[in-house]
Amino acid sequence: MKYSHVRAYCLATMVVAVVTQAFVPRVEAQRGGPGGPPAPITPRASAPIDLTGQWVSLVTEDWRYRQFTPPKGDYGSLPLLPAARKIADSWDPARDEAAGEQCKAYGAAGLLRLPTRVRISWQDDAALKLETDAGTQTRLFRFGPTRADAGGTTPAGERTPGGDWQGASSATWDYPQAAFAGRGGGPAPGGSLKVVTVRMRPGYLRRNGVPYGAEAVLTEYFDRLDVPGGDSLLVVTAEVVDAEYLATPYWTSQQFKRETDTSRWQPTPCAAR
Amino acid sequence: MRNARGLVCAALVVLSATLIGQAPQIPPAPTGQAPAIDLSGYWAPVLHEDFMERGPGSEIADYGGFPINEAGRLWALSYDPSRVTLRHHQCEAYVTPYQMRALGNFRMWEERDAHTQRLLAIHLWAQTTEGHRVIWMDGRPHPPAWAPHTFRGFSTGQFKGNALIVQTTHMKSGALRRGNGVPQSDQATLTEFFVRHGDHLTNVTVVSDPVFLSEPMVRSNDYYRQPVDPGAWLYACDDGEQILDRPDDAVPHYPFGKQPYVREFGARYKIPVAAGLLGAVTMYPELSSRLRTANETETNALLSPAGGRPSETSKVVGGDARDGNVHILPVRDNVYMLVGDGGNIVVQTGDQGAFVVDAGEGKLSDKVLAAIRTLTNNPIQFIANTSFRSEHTGGNGVLGAAGQDPSLPGSFFVQAAPRGVTGFFSDPSSHATMMAHVNVQVRLQAAGAPAAAVPADTYLEDRRRKFHNGDAIEFFYQPNAVTDGDSLIHFRRADVIAAGDIFTTTQYPVIDVKNGGSIQGEIRALNEILKKTVYRHQGEGGTYIVPGHGYLADEHEVLEYRDMVVIVRDRVKAMVDAGATLQQVKAARVTADYDTQYGVNTGPWTTEMFVEAAYNSLKNGR
Repeated sequence: MKYSHVRAYCLATMVVAVVTQAFVPRVEAQRGGPGGPPAPITPRASAPIDLTGQWVSLVTEDWRYRQFTPPKGDYGSLPLLPAARKIADSWDPARDEAAGEQCKAYGAAGLLRLPTRVRISWQDDAALKLETDAGTQTRLFRFGPTRADAGGTTPAGERTPGGDWQGASSATWDYPQAAFAGRGGGPAPGGSLKVVTVRMRPGYLRRNGVPYGAEAVLTEYFDRLDVPGGDSLLVVTAEVVDAEYLATPYWTSQQFKRETDTSRWQPTPCAAR
Repeated sequence: MRNARGLVCAALVVLSATLIGQAPQIPPAPTGQAPAIDLSGYWAPVLHEDFMERGPGSEIADYGGFPINEAGRLWALSYDPSRVTLRHHQCEAYVTPYQMRALGNFRMWEERDAHTQRLLAIHLWAQTTEGHRVIWMDGRPHPPAWAPHTFRGFSTGQFKGNALIVQTTHMKSGALRRGNGVPQSDQATLTEFFVRHGDHLTNVTVVSDPVFLSEPMVRSNDYYRQPVDPGAWLYACDDGEQILDRPDDAVPHYPFGKQPYVREFGARYKIPVAAGLLGAVTMYPELSSRLRTANETETNALLSPAGGRPSETSKVVGGDARDGNVHILPVRDNVYMLVGDGGNIVVQTGDQGAFVVDAGEGKLSDKVLAAIRTLTNNPIQFIANTSFRSEHTGGNGVLGAAGQDPSLPGSFFVQAAPRGVTGFFSDPSSHATMMAHVNVQVRLQAAGAPAAAVPADTYLEDRRRKFHNGDAIEFFYQPNAVTDGDSLIHFRRADVIAAGDIFTTTQYPVIDVKNGGSIQGEIRALNEILKKTVYRHQGEGGTYIVPGHGYLADEHEVLEYRDMVVIVRDRVKAMVDAGATLQQVKAARVTADYDTQYGVNTGPWTTEMFVEAAYNSLKNGR
């Protein structure tokens, strides 16, 4: 073995050691501390932020599109392909009502753009539940891989009977970049909830019939931001990728304010107009 | 040999693992010092929201989603987009909350101390308006209330969790929404969060504005990372005449209730007109139920000030320093602003004696003298008064007595002057020379001021000039502005103008009609300032203006103040021309969009007094 090979070997070994050591605190924590009995850390227990509670939309952007149903063909700002425009231009809310599809604008890719209140709670130690009073919808963010039978369509893309507007969501905690040097290793404090949703029943990005398809993938980051001396905000940054209808990923971010007074929770049914 | 190398290698591994294991012993970086996220690089905005505002421009009366209060709504309804044709408005930069939403890329980079590598600041340079922001990360405090404002404001930041949190104060007034007049005042503060998810950056802005907003305005902006320098970082702008022969006291605006396009937006999109005018409720899910009760009567009422109630009062906190101390603010070169004793004081220092403009109210004269002594060892040689008002001349006696004018002893004029005529020349070696327009002398003498507090060195016509401490100093008489003896005093090399009470950042102009003031003269005087100013870059910086009260300003603040006086003048004049009584003018709340900034209902100069002064002035054709 040449000396340079030894150096490379040593370097690689050290890197492995460094990376391994970086996770030591977490592994120890999962064991319940040095010498303690094994205690698996659940997603709930390892949550870097608390998203639970009631939040209300602050509709301060795209206000006209979100507080009202825009006229047919009004799809400014959206990176639509011609196929999407064709569908949007033929939007007919009466047809949706007749087909029992009043909830097309309340699917996962459009739901949090609507003026709504949101309640987030832990369904169990491994799943967060998000409910909206607008349209009375429920989304489930389960930590871990997406179950094959979850969502409103099969893995092959075929719609299942009575499919789910909210699709199948898998959640992870997204930690900020760890800075090894000078910070003691390990992740920095804080983090986001990352949710990837697939197999959504085709719905509307905007109430006036702007479509997304069954193959659309919704990636969201939920961040809790506490204004010093002020409100707690929930900001949901969303990316919709849909090769069928969108020319580019569609990026938006919507903000909510935490409410301690929960009396304004007012579930309403979906409305197509 | 191979075993030896293996042992060395194993030892290194153990050592490195041990060191890493002991890493918590490394002192953690101070809060806000070590970046938890790296924001450096080129970022391009994602324009998938509010494209109309960020592209072509917002539509008139589309104020929905903005928690504007009555003043904010009326300010926006009065706004005529043609205002940007006025020379001084043409190159104005965006205020930071809108800058972050503007078209165009920006880049961010870190500034680190060369020796310690501690993070000092994070810089952000935006293509549009060459918006250069500096976010200080070194823990420095924000400037005092009397420090200048800029479009970007003064920002400090710290990392918390996965976000960079930035606090910004000292912003100029500007557009919270681009193009349709939704205002942001110079009292607004901004909290921002920068959160990065891979190559996606989200910036959340929270604007608190006690003047125009009833609750914080929250928006979020999205960007994606650009792998290469997109270039085109400059944004050249120069102003010029866009409408020839327009009088310089013409400011495009709409009278209350007369915005001609207010219904277009609603008609175009089949939205109730009231929907865009209702303020905070427009942000919430309750809007739809609120609109069920909005009728035409209510809609029309939203277009004008609400009647039958007193004027709003200023929501500004700490506009004037009143903590019992005198504070020094370096302005430029050898010119300083002193605040704390009533009206602001300007001090110019050099190898000659100090040249002082205005002497304050006189309640803290000893502290004023102490402050000046920290700036120069030379005595006060000259005191110039911008008007006779007591907040600017009250300290004449004490400050004058503490000075001396070495140019006088032994001069022919002192030797030949009849002693005791003014009291001033009796002992020039122990008294500063006091200068002002002659009407200041007349008014102070008529008020019974002691001779030692009355300027004896006066001028009569348009201009007085003096070269002192290496600078050309000019006095410009402004007839019938707040009084009949006002002067603007311009330090030409330092490019600083002492405006006296012709311009303040804290109150409506104190137009003293009984002592020769007039609203037309006030507007002329404000325009005289604007004729002398030159901005440094994008409508800010350059010539500094020391106001009679409030914070150190540049032409932007004078411009906004001039606009305000002209707009109020126009509203009062329209009513005077229509035969309205003073009571009717007062009841119309003609200052409603400015009262949360300048209004007071008690004290020596109330909103009603200002309206009355404007009314009486215009009734007399002045």
